[in-house]
Amino acid sequence: MRAKSARACGVAEKRTIAIIGLPNTGKSVIFNHLTGEYTVVANYAQTTVETKRTDCFMNGCRCEVIDTPGLHCLSIHAEEELAIRDLVFSERPDVIVQCIDACQFKQSLTLTCDLLELNIPMVIALNAIDESTRRGMWIDSTGLAQMLGVPVIETIATQGRGMAELRAAIAYAAKSPAPVRYGDTIENAIADLQDLLGEGVAHSRRIALLMCMGDPFVGNTVGPLVNEENAIKLKACVTELILRYRGDVATAITYRRNQWIDEIAEKTIRRQKVAPSQFSKTLGHLCRHPVFGVPILFMFLAATFFLVVHVAGFLEIALHGLLERPIIAFVSAVVPSGFLHDLLVGKDYGVLTLGLFNAVCTVLPILSVFFLAFGILEDIGYIPNLCVLTRRIFGKVGLKGRSVMSLMLGFGCKTMATLTTLGLPRKEKLIAVYLIAATIPCSAQMGLSMGLLGRYSFWAFLATYGMLIVIAAAAGALLNRLIPREDRSDLIQELPAMRLPNIKAVGIKTYYRLYWFLKEALPIFLVAALALFLMNKVGVLAALKVALRPVVEKWFGMPVDVVDAIVLCVARHEAAAGMLIRMADAGKLDVFQCMAAVLLTTIFVPCFANIVAMCKRVGIKTGVAMTLAMNASAFFIVGVFYWVLVFLRGVIS
Amino acid sequence: MNMKQDEYLEALWRLHEQEKNSVEDLQTALNAPVERDVLDGLTSDRMAEYDGELRKVRLTEKGLAYALDLVRKHRLAERLLHDVLRVRGEGFESEACTFEHLVAPQVVEGICTLLGHPRECPHGLPIPEGECCRRSEQTISTSVVYLAQLEVGEVGQVAYIDCQDDAQLHRLNGLQFKPGVEVKLHQKYPAYVVECEGGIIAIDEWIAKRILLWKQRGRGVYEDGAVPHVPEKPARKRFWRRGRRYGTFTRE
Repeated sequence: MRAKSARACGVAEKRTIAIIGLPNTGKSVIFNHLTGEYTVVANYAQTTVETKRTDCFMNGCRCEVIDTPGLHCLSIHAEEELAIRDLVFSERPDVIVQCIDACQFKQSLTLTCDLLELNIPMVIALNAIDESTRRGMWIDSTGLAQMLGVPVIETIATQGRGMAELRAAIAYAAKSPAPVRYGDTIENAIADLQDLLGEGVAHSRRIALLMCMGDPFVGNTVGPLVNEENAIKLKACVTELILRYRGDVATAITYRRNQWIDEIAEKTIRRQKVAPSQFSKTLGHLCRHPVFGVPILFMFLAATFFLVVHVAGFLEIALHGLLERPIIAFVSAVVPSGFLHDLLVGKDYGVLTLGLFNAVCTVLPILSVFFLAFGILEDIGYIPNLCVLTRRIFGKVGLKGRSVMSLMLGFGCKTMATLTTLGLPRKEKLIAVYLIAATIPCSAQMGLSMGLLGRYSFWAFLATYGMLIVIAAAAGALLNRLIPREDRSDLIQELPAMRLPNIKAVGIKTYYRLYWFLKEALPIFLVAALALFLMNKVGVLAALKVALRPVVEKWFGMPVDVVDAIVLCVARHEAAAGMLIRMADAGKLDVFQCMAAVLLTTIFVPCFANIVAMCKRVGIKTGVAMTLAMNASAFFIVGVFYWVLVFLRGVIS
Repeated sequence: MNMKQDEYLEALWRLHEQEKNSVEDLQTALNAPVERDVLDGLTSDRMAEYDGELRKVRLTEKGLAYALDLVRKHRLAERLLHDVLRVRGEGFESEACTFEHLVAPQVVEGICTLLGHPRECPHGLPIPEGECCRRSEQTISTSVVYLAQLEVGEVGQVAYIDCQDDAQLHRLNGLQFKPGVEVKLHQKYPAYVVECEGGIIAIDEWIAKRILLWKQRGRGVYEDGAVPHVPEKPARKRFWRRGRRYGTFTRE
């Protein structure tokens, strides 16, 4: 055992602890509990897209804890999981915490088997043990620990139970010999390969096995480790083995491993003969049902909408009365009218009015209510069910497989959703990235458009979002035509078990989202207000308005002041939405203009982080081209939408 | 387990039948010199016990169970080839040998039932009894259907997955969706939703048409009324039925 992994370690040394597990097993929740930090958690796969690391003190020594995205097993066929394997191979963490969802215990054992072969001290966190008990399933964790030779800790991460034990167990993490023997022929080949790889190579057994299984990515790992001569020998060794097994080595290895998994599962899992009826299953079933699913979706939308309109509306009025008016009155009394007065609380572009109060009194109440409602939906695990419900619609526009899930994740955060498109076939990736950026409203956008259109009616909101769906379908169909046909990808998507929302977790998440919003966006609000103020004083704004007047007034049918909102939109969508809300309150916009404006702010200029994510996934050139196309189409579509509305009004009246 | 080890296990089973246990007898049964490393492999897998000093070798309980399965497959295959397919002569033995490595346990039951639970192989050696013989089934009631042909709410056991794409098979295997596992179909439209080992998976129709299952007989009850190994599905509560009951109540 290396000195580093001994029970006590010096203060100077830092231990790395990697949390690894299947998607949606609660890795991030455990990460949050272990480190005291906060990363966003939700009840579905792919909430964490990129590894996150943080330093903390544990058991009296300094530790670096790494949170990873979901991983199914170490032999990889999908690009998105490669990064995690490389992390394990190259960094060689001192302790691995494997997070297992007790309800899906058997599915996790493949990964357990792979991780044990790495010969790294390991702890298993058997998470969601309350959920499995509720399903009439009992896992013998003591027996499991004896069989695997590593500590197994039962936890209920959402409630923070078992975290102290887990922390203690990390100090006692144990190595265990590789659990599965693959028969003489394969074992001999593995030994030969290990010899050829050399003494110093970490995880040589695992790498040898991956080579036997014909892993497409292992070449990159092995390449730099061996010299040319050995590389040829390695290849020969693998070829010989494949010949002996008539090409079916991978099957033989998988078969042996599956046998081991069945054996462990049989010995450790006890099931009740009669499974209790499950609320979660029924609810999940209804949400995916082709007939009941749609009204449920509609109901969730309506509930959120009315919450935003009424509760947030009340908060807004309260904040205006308590905060904005007294402060403005105070500043007006203290500062004599003039440049400084205009700069601070000027009627149009005051830094306080347009910056601070816009953020705190208009945007913040709407976002807080919406994030709370959306957090509940995330915690229930509702959103992935939409990917079943909308499967056919998206299938028509060329989005066949996993990309539907990416699109659904876009309702939370577009940037994260764009990042999850890694590993999709190129065509699907392009369509998905474009649709996410152009037509999916992220949670902040949706909340604010609810806030704006809530001033009129629910139907205005529905009509606008209906239009957005039409645009998405049209854009998807167009792209589907334009981009040449490619290999199909298929939908194989695990859905989370629905559960009742955990109010505390939702509260914490909402708090952090609002905190991040204030931390990131408030400075931008202030700077944007200042910039607008200066542009106004210098006269640039007036010139811009003159230049854009024909487009805005004639084509969009909006007052020329909307140009201010467009300028703000470039800085931050929320600022533009806040400004539009204020304009609507002042009676400068009617309902049609508001609807067109919501479309404009949704499609026009994706946020900066999203553009960066797009460039990362589809390349800088395509990313920039897409952004430009989106902006151009936004101008076109918004005009068309407005004129259709006007035409409809003419027909009706 | 590789072919060679299987061969040894079969030979050891024959010795077990004849109540012999010396290495020399094994050599006769194999008709070839005994290789030490194969025996060591069996010992390390806890299939057999080998005593180097007395030169005795015998099967453990685990080995017996495994060998029973092998021998049963082999002798049933012989019967099938001999009686139904009328294979004779040279190819006969080797075909039977290949056969025993290919078929899944469920298929063996089907073949056994089809042949009418035979007691002896064409050479006159006894065929070990299987689960189906004990139940003495008269007809083969399991049949292979595509997942897409299953009705909503039905349970099936995955027979095999007809798929050329490695990545896809791999992904399904990672979700424990593999031959032998029991799955329940929850929904067919807009996408297929199946339950498998406690997880719920959404898959495309295209894939559902490539997964073959053995359908559970009826609601999991065997013909002779044996205890089903599928938990009885609780009766679905229908809310309108209750409404009707209240309706008659008020009318009275």
